[in-house]
Amino acid sequence: MPDLLDSPDSGRGDRPLTAISVSRDPKGSAPPALPFGSRLTEEAAALPLLLCQRVSKWYGPVIGVNQVTLELRSGITGLVGSNGAGKSTLMRLITGQLRPDLGSIEIRGHDAWSTSARRHVGYCPELDSFYEEMSGRQFVEAMARLYGYPRREALDRAAFALERVGMAGRAERRVRGYSKGMRQRIKLAQALLHDPELMVLDEPLSGIDPVGRDEFVRLFGDLASMGKCLLISSHELEELEKLTDHLAIMAHGRIAAVGTVAQIRDRLDNHPLLIRIDVKRSSPGENDSENDERRRLAAGLLKLNDVVGVELLDARPEDAVDPVLVRARNPQRFFQELTRLVLEEWYEIARLETLDDSTSAVLGYLLSGRSA
Amino acid sequence: MVPDYNENEGERETVSLKTANRSLAVVSPLLPDSTSGLRAWFYLVWLSWRRQARSQQMVWIAVGLLLFSVSLVAIFTARGAWSMRYWRWPYRQGPTYMQWADEVQMLASLPDASAEGQGVQAALAASVRGIILYSGFPIFSHWIVFLLFLSFLVPLFNLSFATEALGGERESNSLIWLLSRPLPRPAIYLAKFAALLPWTIGLTLGGFVLLCLVGGQSGLLALRLYWPSVLAATLAFSSLFYFMGATFRRPAVAAIVYAFFLEVIFGNMPGYLKRISIGFYARCMMFDAAGDFGVQPERPEIFLPVDGATALAVLLGLTVLLLGIGTVAFSRAQYHEVV
Repeated sequence: MPDLLDSPDSGRGDRPLTAISVSRDPKGSAPPALPFGSRLTEEAAALPLLLCQRVSKWYGPVIGVNQVTLELRSGITGLVGSNGAGKSTLMRLITGQLRPDLGSIEIRGHDAWSTSARRHVGYCPELDSFYEEMSGRQFVEAMARLYGYPRREALDRAAFALERVGMAGRAERRVRGYSKGMRQRIKLAQALLHDPELMVLDEPLSGIDPVGRDEFVRLFGDLASMGKCLLISSHELEELEKLTDHLAIMAHGRIAAVGTVAQIRDRLDNHPLLIRIDVKRSSPGENDSENDERRRLAAGLLKLNDVVGVELLDARPEDAVDPVLVRARNPQRFFQELTRLVLEEWYEIARLETLDDSTSAVLGYLLSGRSA
Repeated sequence: MVPDYNENEGERETVSLKTANRSLAVVSPLLPDSTSGLRAWFYLVWLSWRRQARSQQMVWIAVGLLLFSVSLVAIFTARGAWSMRYWRWPYRQGPTYMQWADEVQMLASLPDASAEGQGVQAALAASVRGIILYSGFPIFSHWIVFLLFLSFLVPLFNLSFATEALGGERESNSLIWLLSRPLPRPAIYLAKFAALLPWTIGLTLGGFVLLCLVGGQSGLLALRLYWPSVLAATLAFSSLFYFMGATFRRPAVAAIVYAFFLEVIFGNMPGYLKRISIGFYARCMMFDAAGDFGVQPERPEIFLPVDGATALAVLLGLTVLLLGIGTVAFSRAQYHEVV
């Protein structure tokens, strides 16, 4: 089944999908962020901050990430997809928690699994586990000291990071007493400690109240304007659209679409979508062409501007439905017109199914999100 | 306190906070590199040592059993049970061994006995008394050291801490915080082992000291002779159970199965099969140390002991080997459940 971006300009064929995030610094003059505790050479700075090349990862027989190629340099990239789409697995691979079965991942030229790569990365995992017996400040301080900072500097960094996430006044309480939102803030604080170039944030806005979300959105924007590269995952497109217009949509372990929301919508419009419509048979067992509902539906569909083709599939006599296969462009407009057609002619539709899984996933997000 | 960001476009690059007179310079990468891998490693040892102190169910069970054992030994000591003085022959019916010795002594003092006969009787009686007098140590060794402490308490003390060191972090999903720091994985493994040792050695050796102190003279002799074996066994058990924590999803269960089934089965197998059990080598060290005091395997031709130096070398070698294997395994492991 063709993928959404299997269009001429995407150049897929043998070439993998590539997402390139560019700096969205408003002034375009932010200096490149340097890695933790060291200065980058010019050569190192020229390397992509994150480069995933044809990365695949299996969990036994189940594929978690499938042939993902991704290149990030700076700015915010949103990684969106449903639960189980492979977002967290991709993030674990990028942060060196997992190793790819195929392909490679490099952070500034270092293998993501290596210690040197982790110096460039701040990771905010989705997992909600801490050293529960510690206070928020003790936890963040402990994380700073595990980077090897002297005690005084670790204290300063922890204090600063806690202020940045709005937890300075509440950091003395034990973590086990924190709300979900406060725990999210602590997780974010520990990711900021060493001023990383790349921040990998897995569902950072989950559990945060609306006011907190606005604060986080501003904080992410500020970090991006400083030249940081942020990869932020969410299963809510609307949430990510507030942060960035550069999105990668994941479905079934693959990056199904990359670009701005508008770009993805444009590509989706030009990409013929395969849809199966099951029309309820008026007289079961009969196949009278005069009364055949689906033939009437097919004729009606062919009159629609966005329909590229219609095919009548063989129906099994024991089924009470007649299937129709439709190829249509501009899915958003097509579905509107289909709805109108069905309501006007009173077709009884038993089932409507998009057959291209990746496209369906992308479409699902785009239709549920705000209009571009 | 929520940071208040300056939304002014012109000042955006120098984000400041109204709430604190700090700037991003606090975390500026332009500062000289002040990090140190060695410092981070030592901090991890300290942090892990401190976190091991959290009360865990297994540790409380171990401490409870230790206190129970100490109380039992104290009662036995108070009743003078570490001696053959009250043993009877025929079993449970006849006079005690001490009564036998007294009777032999009485026979020696009969007026019609010959001088030679009296001499033999007196020597026999003195020997019996001597054996009875010094029987406390072998009895204490057999019942308390070998059966209770080495076979049961040492594995339990070690597994209660060692399986928790990494296994607990895995189960609580907090291992992610160590794995996402720029610390080499072998360093993490070794740091946590270093942090574990004071606890296992403290509990095992401390427990042994306690048991021996309440065991009277026999206990003090056992402490003097056996502590190196206890220490070597502790190192080997710790490294084994720690390795299990890095490898098994439910390390405590695996360690209990090993300690109380495999060790017992292998340790009592005839021939050379028992040589794959840690307890065998610890016992060999003890037999070697206490040979002069009459402590030896019941049937050496079946037990086939090795000498003390070999047993020590095996236990230390095993510790190093298990640490090496564990380090490699941990360095390659992908903990799906914790990340």
